Amino acid sequence: MKNLKTKVLSTVCAVAVGCGILSGCGTAVKETTAATTTAAVETTVAAAVTTAAAAETSAAATAAPAASLTNEEIVVKAAQEGKVGNWGLGNEYEIQALLMKYGQPTTYLSQAFDMDGFDDDSISLASAMTYNELGLVKNDYEGAYAYGDTVGFIDMNDEGVAMLEDNLFCNREFAESNPNTVKAFIYASMKGWEYACANPEEAAEIVFNNGSSVSAEHQAYMASEVKKLVETDVNGNAVTQIGNMDETAMQQTLDLAKQYIQLDDSVAKDNLAALTIDDIRDTSYITDAYASADGVFGDLEKTDVSIQLKWLPQAQFMGYYVALDKGFYTDAGLTVTIVPGGGDISETTAVNSGTVDFGVTWVSNLISANAGGMKLLEVAQVYQRSGLVLVYKYDSFQ
Amino acid sequence: MIPKRKREKNVLARVHENSRVQAAETFIFPVLFGVLVLILWQNQILHKILHTDTFTLPLPGRILMIMSDNADKILSNVGATVAVAVIGLAAGSVFGYAIAILAALFRKWGAAGLGIVAAFNAIPIVALAPVMTNWTKDVSSDAAMRSMVAKILVVTIVSIANMSFNAFRGLTELKPFAEDLMSSYAASKKETLIKLRIPNSVPYIFTALRVAVPSSVISALVSEYFAEYIVGVGRQIRENIVLAQYASAWAYIVAACLIGIIMYGILMIVEGIVLKKHVKA
Repeated sequence: MKNLKTKVLSTVCAVAVGCGILSGCGTAVKETTAATTTAAVETTVAAAVTTAAAAETSAAATAAPAASLTNEEIVVKAAQEGKVGNWGLGNEYEIQALLMKYGQPTTYLSQAFDMDGFDDDSISLASAMTYNELGLVKNDYEGAYAYGDTVGFIDMNDEGVAMLEDNLFCNREFAESNPNTVKAFIYASMKGWEYACANPEEAAEIVFNNGSSVSAEHQAYMASEVKKLVETDVNGNAVTQIGNMDETAMQQTLDLAKQYIQLDDSVAKDNLAALTIDDIRDTSYITDAYASADGVFGDLEKTDVSIQLKWLPQAQFMGYYVALDKGFYTDAGLTVTIVPGGGDISETTAVNSGTVDFGVTWVSNLISANAGGMKLLEVAQVYQRSGLVLVYKYDSFQ
Repeated sequence: MIPKRKREKNVLARVHENSRVQAAETFIFPVLFGVLVLILWQNQILHKILHTDTFTLPLPGRILMIMSDNADKILSNVGATVAVAVIGLAAGSVFGYAIAILAALFRKWGAAGLGIVAAFNAIPIVALAPVMTNWTKDVSSDAAMRSMVAKILVVTIVSIANMSFNAFRGLTELKPFAEDLMSSYAASKKETLIKLRIPNSVPYIFTALRVAVPSSVISALVSEYFAEYIVGVGRQIRENIVLAQYASAWAYIVAACLIGIIMYGILMIVEGIVLKKHVKA
């Protein structure tokens, strides 16, 4: 009897300890997994944005201590300490070009898709997109980092190492066999971008209603920042035509790509060295699209088309969501499916294999894909300047 | 009919019954199958079967060319991955065995304790790796060092459970009456452990390692995805696939396969030697 009692008691104790440990590690895992996926970063923001409006006012109230070091000194100091961060996976070339510009080794720390590494100072100079991570660092959302004006950033455009990012592309073969469809798609998409940039708040709302991964308030912040990237070029001048492929910026992107994209495959390496901008983009489709007054381009070779986004549904891609929501695609005779990305989705592979017809990627990713043997063709350049910055705390660089 | 069958048996079956031939067959058939797959692959018949193209599944010749062109780079990444897998496997196995001994000595608590180990084992590596990366932030100011520690911890945790379960069985599932015999000799718990339980558990250790070796390689590859410091075969596979460099990615995939096969081969050899001695003893 006594034996049974001990048995029961010990089992109960063990189960209790087990449950305790389990629930403990369960939460920890949940938190950190969440933190590593970008979706979660924005969810955190989402949960928090209610106090967004208060953010900037309170930040402005505290005196802003400016950095006493120059950009060069900041980059050198962070590089010497080995505390420059980037996500890698093809997003690192501008950072490497900047490090090279200031005579530093081009190694960097692998940055997770949240800003925890920046927050705990293991990364002192962290990569951030103006429309996403920078807002997360500065704004005062609950769960965000609320650094306000105590952080500064280095802009890749100002440093002359800007590479073009979000574009619109498809297979060269697809474009050649479906020219009218491509033109109609560009026409409607650019109309969507134009509308979105004129009405960023409405655009943010449309994205939010289309299965947004982040909160309405963060979408609004993102839309206002994306608008700047679409309407301003690398030199800070106003863009005359949305989606225009600027020769100089394109060439700079290709030159930097040739210098910093490291390929192990000797065939791909030779391909990369031989690439010209004519191998990666064709301006004729967008020229024809803009020449049309009504967006009617004769017989459409294909009316059901899909577009693969580089990331989760967010205002980064607001032009396409607006074009869909406002019926611009329908007006052009197209039925469009928007396919969200996320994680390790390779939009270049998706388009190359024909799973989707169009895609949004960074020009550098398109360049390395073509070097690898794909025949992808950029048909519009939506972002006219780099949205990548390196953010730092003024405290770390006094 | 009957004479024909007899003749068959005379020639083929007799050859087949030869133990040396049988030993050779276990080696030859898998190799022949491998060669057949390679031929199908190189001649793109495999691509037709799998509905894929030479872009996503590059030809073996091209993969080998990339491997020989980048031998140094691939080897340094292999070194980083192997170090993580081996150190993590060793640490996890020692730790797992220690847990098994404790569980065998304190049976009432032990069973429940192994339940907790099982729960830890159920945590996916993709969830574990970022936790470890965050947890080891203060280990060293050198990112290469703390990343290594984080990755080793992941492999360690994954390796523990396997060893615990198998070693626990080895320590407790004794030959009938062996335990009674020990107690009739008035052997202490310690003596029973050293003279009976531990020797009995040796084959079980190898059973555990047969599973733990491949899983340690996989854990090392996946944990590299989330590490701060960019090095290792797994990380290179990911970078190359995202950059649409499938041929280069495959070069690292082949390297990863070789790591797994070679480590397993070494384990088999060690097992052969140790168990032979074990049986004799």
